[in-house]
Amino acid sequence: MAAKRVAICAVAQHKNDSDLWYKRFQGMLLDVLEDLQAQTGFDFDSETGVRSIVSCSDDFFDARTISNNGVTDVLGAQYRGEEKMAQEGLNAIGYAMAQILAGHEDLVLVMGHCKESQPESRELISNLGFDPFYGRALGLDCLNAAALQARAYMAKSGLTEDHLAEIVVRARQCAARNPYANCREIIEAGKVKGSPMLCDPIRQLHAYPVSDGAVGMLLASEERAKEFTDKPVWLTGFANCMDSFFFGDRDLTSNFALKGAAERAYKKAGIKDPKKTVNLVEVMDAYAYQQPMWMEGLGFCKDGQGAQFIDDAGLGKYKVNLSGGMLAGDPVIISGLYRAANAALQLRGEAGDMQVPDVKCAVAQSTNGPAGQFHSVLILEA
Amino acid sequence: MAEFYGTTVADIFNTMPKRFKPEEAKDEDIAIGYECKGEGKWKVTIKHGTIKVEEVKGDLKGCATTIHAADAETFIGTTLGKIQAMDALTTGKLRVVGDVKLLMTLLPKIFVQYTAPEKKSSVVAKDIISTITERFRPDKAAGVDMKVGYDLAGEGGGKWTIVIKDGKCAVKEGLAKDLTVKMTMPAEIYVGMMLGTISGESAFTSGQVKLDGDMMAAGATSRFFNKFVDPNAKASEAEELITIKVTNSINCRFATGTAYGMWFKGLKEKKFLANVCPKCGRTQITPREICAFCRVRCNEFVELGPRGTITAADVVYFASPDPLTGAVRETPYAMCWILLDNASPQEAFCFDIKREDLPKMKVGARVRPVWAKETKGTFTDLLYFELDK
Amino acid sequence: MKKQSAKPAKAHKKNRNVGIVGIGMTSLSSHKEDQNQPEMIHEAVRAALADAKMTLDDIDCIVHGNMELFEMQYQPDMWHVLGSGAYGKDEYRITTGGTVGATLVCAADNLVASGLYDTVLAIGFEKLQEGNTTGGITNMADPLWFRNIQTGALTGTTAAMMIDEFGAERAKKAAMKYRILMDKHAMLNERAHRRFGLEYDQAEDLMKTSPQLVGELRLIHMCSQSDGACAMIFTHEKKAKKVSKTPVWIRDHITVHREENMSNLYAFEKPEMTHHYAARKLFERNGIKDPVKYFDVFEMYDPSAWWGLDWSREFLQLKGDEHLRMLEDGEFDLDGKLPLNPSGGVIASNPIGATAMLRPAFAALQIRGDAGGCQIKKPVRHALASGFGGTLWTVLMMLEKDLDW
Repeated sequence: MAAKRVAICAVAQHKNDSDLWYKRFQGMLLDVLEDLQAQTGFDFDSETGVRSIVSCSDDFFDARTISNNGVTDVLGAQYRGEEKMAQEGLNAIGYAMAQILAGHEDLVLVMGHCKESQPESRELISNLGFDPFYGRALGLDCLNAAALQARAYMAKSGLTEDHLAEIVVRARQCAARNPYANCREIIEAGKVKGSPMLCDPIRQLHAYPVSDGAVGMLLASEERAKEFTDKPVWLTGFANCMDSFFFGDRDLTSNFALKGAAERAYKKAGIKDPKKTVNLVEVMDAYAYQQPMWMEGLGFCKDGQGAQFIDDAGLGKYKVNLSGGMLAGDPVIISGLYRAANAALQLRGEAGDMQVPDVKCAVAQSTNGPAGQFHSVLILEA
Repeated sequence: MAEFYGTTVADIFNTMPKRFKPEEAKDEDIAIGYECKGEGKWKVTIKHGTIKVEEVKGDLKGCATTIHAADAETFIGTTLGKIQAMDALTTGKLRVVGDVKLLMTLLPKIFVQYTAPEKKSSVVAKDIISTITERFRPDKAAGVDMKVGYDLAGEGGGKWTIVIKDGKCAVKEGLAKDLTVKMTMPAEIYVGMMLGTISGESAFTSGQVKLDGDMMAAGATSRFFNKFVDPNAKASEAEELITIKVTNSINCRFATGTAYGMWFKGLKEKKFLANVCPKCGRTQITPREICAFCRVRCNEFVELGPRGTITAADVVYFASPDPLTGAVRETPYAMCWILLDNASPQEAFCFDIKREDLPKMKVGARVRPVWAKETKGTFTDLLYFELDK
Repeated sequence: MKKQSAKPAKAHKKNRNVGIVGIGMTSLSSHKEDQNQPEMIHEAVRAALADAKMTLDDIDCIVHGNMELFEMQYQPDMWHVLGSGAYGKDEYRITTGGTVGATLVCAADNLVASGLYDTVLAIGFEKLQEGNTTGGITNMADPLWFRNIQTGALTGTTAAMMIDEFGAERAKKAAMKYRILMDKHAMLNERAHRRFGLEYDQAEDLMKTSPQLVGELRLIHMCSQSDGACAMIFTHEKKAKKVSKTPVWIRDHITVHREENMSNLYAFEKPEMTHHYAARKLFERNGIKDPVKYFDVFEMYDPSAWWGLDWSREFLQLKGDEHLRMLEDGEFDLDGKLPLNPSGGVIASNPIGATAMLRPAFAALQIRGDAGGCQIKKPVRHALASGFGGTLWTVLMMLEKDLDW
């Protein structure tokens, strides 16, 4: 309904690393904040500056009740509004958009962080995401939930171990051009196929590496964006969607939540056929099988045709994860922010060695919860 | 003696020696006094794994801690968990003079939780007999023709004949002459068997039930009736709810970063290192990456103290359990805010005060730090502050 | 680099008005073992839908919040979909600490006003019985240092400062009067959790004998620990007018956070209190000169009698002992100048993740005239509601009966 638009004026990423043992996440966020201020010159004046910050972090990963309390100062939130997206970070952008479209704010800072190296195991944490009576006792976590989905999806789509290796090899080739990616070493398919089996059929190199990172963005209303940038990236659609909880109640290969989110986001952005309109896609590929599967959910590939899509070089055609994606290493919780940041850089023509020409419209996708229970989709345009 | 929730105050004290766990109390040496208005006073002496419970007339003497309940209902209710102890303490219906913490720490450790005695069912044999016709299942008794006699001795007992014929059932007072089978037993055994608290098989084998006539017929009768359900028992069954207890713990390794790193390095050298805001001059203790007000990095460090002045003081009487270990600190202890010498007037430092100095501690008092013998750059390097005389 | 405009931004104008059209809450009690988490949430959701005469088909989006370490459930909205009604819908999980319930209302307001969603259901809840609350709050502190010192949310310094400012006798009496007033209000509110039936003549006795927690903060002054959930439904002006006879309008809200470290709250030089700053800014931009006169009810997040009393001065921009006099003169009573917490406040009921949502919920019920036994007799047109959390974080919001500001 609203004819108003919201722009990303600047993005800043902290380089992803497997173990930033020497740095508090407060320090990581401060680097990001200073980067954003250097790019745009915004301040926190109570009338003309940023009065609202949407942060993104997680109490379990930070090991603190109210994780945002520990970072209020380095978010610049002293005596300002701050609200934490306690979900995947792409939703922080969606909510920040709403604050601006509502007219309540005209500048919003989005800041997310996660240090996966801090807890002894991310799987111990995701086990606590299951119900305390059955799922936890059964030993479910996000990894073995993904393995169940991977097995089911491979059966449905014809995806093979060779396809998975091809996806990982391509991801690393892309990551080699992304200075912010965690694992930038180029590897051969044999190494992927020879890597240890984590949870059948997911091998170690099919899974994203443990990562520490932080991302920030400045969002502004259409009227104010020009104060901060000549190259605004317009946010024209956002939606998310929730599937049911128990695996027995879900069809793990149906992409129910992603299809719901994509359909609503496309509708808001006025996109009828994403295959024709969208030039670039960033998906949250925590595991290799998810690249083709999420591309199906987003409407770029026919249902159950994931293997064919890879064989037909669909990943190259739709410019999927030129950043190296999550497979090259960024933390959960804020992977969606990295996805959107990379899409925004491409739209601004600032993607460096990763840059491809003529990117006018991009999609960033993220997921949350076991085996893609929840998905979010953001449409960005130049 | 008043009864609440099926128990009396005396029941609770009488069962104390039985519920006592000597092994858990082997290091304890304490006398606890109890007063329950309208019921009496008790003194419980626990010494090196032994317990003595005595009723006291007159004053409670020689007790380190005394617990006072406004009435029997409060005392029994909180003991059984039917009344929230916190609510009773809040409204003053339950009072503790001395160490309140005992209620949460020592007592649950050294005593098995008191439970009300199994309430004897108020159901008597007559009640059960009176429900026989409504429990009758004609579909199961097709073609059956028999007379079963019950001779039940004792309270609630009597003599009855149950006539089953043509898919119908009737109960008659007294014993018929032509019984198929007669069962003779104490009425309470019959009730126990019907409620399932006594096994029928063992009652037969132990001879508590005497059979005259067709034994097979006696065995068959239960088929013809729906099970008797104690109407009083229903409520307590519904109260039985299910919870599971799990402790979740995930080990972490926290980075200190440069600001906190300097702080811990300072502690190792018995120094308080604060960082200074280059804009407003605030000395930040403990140090953090930026000054929140000025939003600038604070890279310069200065040494504060070691002495300082108390700006605010909290005496803690109720310590919450350590979230990681569950341990509860000894109370009372004091958390003080101390403006260290050389600090800017906006930032005080929070720490413990020596227990012995609690009575003399006040805002404006001067204090000095007391360090551990060996400092390692951890929280435990600093023991406490004491008054600087 | 571009230059940020030095001119103040244009007055913030809401894209479209947002009304509260449904309010539901579970019973609030210290035990809810008969329900698991999704079941408890669902009870509040059903109540809110029934109140709004809606079904889940009318809802576009769910907003969900609590503090996950209290129940030790990671990303609880995933499991809670079984009770939240979020299946197939958009859903956000936004949290801020004790303030979270109020934050959910702000978020729902933003989401509807933005035009991205027409009708939003917000759910705040906590099952405190499933975890250790004080331990959970202590977990909030910085793990490297302050976690070793802190005792949850308890502090006696406010009591000490008030005793210092107003003398021991007057301050202690006032704190007890505040406490008993809250209990008297709770006695009138059938939804409240703790209802003791305290009388003013017990004050003298209770202030001496109630167990001390920290300094002069005694058990009697402290809030309860409750289990419970609250759900509210928000929709845009056009639909609100269609579906509800008594929509309650959200006029404006402000969130004010501050750094985690509390060193600068207890030194000799103190900064402006967040509550005071929030109220000052909110009233300024809405042209409220005399809040005591303007508002007809104030539902304040009062974790203890001392804090409640002290903070009334900050929120209402009072000076000196004006807040004590208001209390002493009965101006905070149900028939006073500005009835304070007719619901009994947080002292009576405190399911943390829902607590700050119960404030606007109870305030909205007052505006609708649906507050039951604790309904204020004179008409309620303007309401103020606050949330509290973190290290003195605040959310303050204004609710209105009419769209006439």
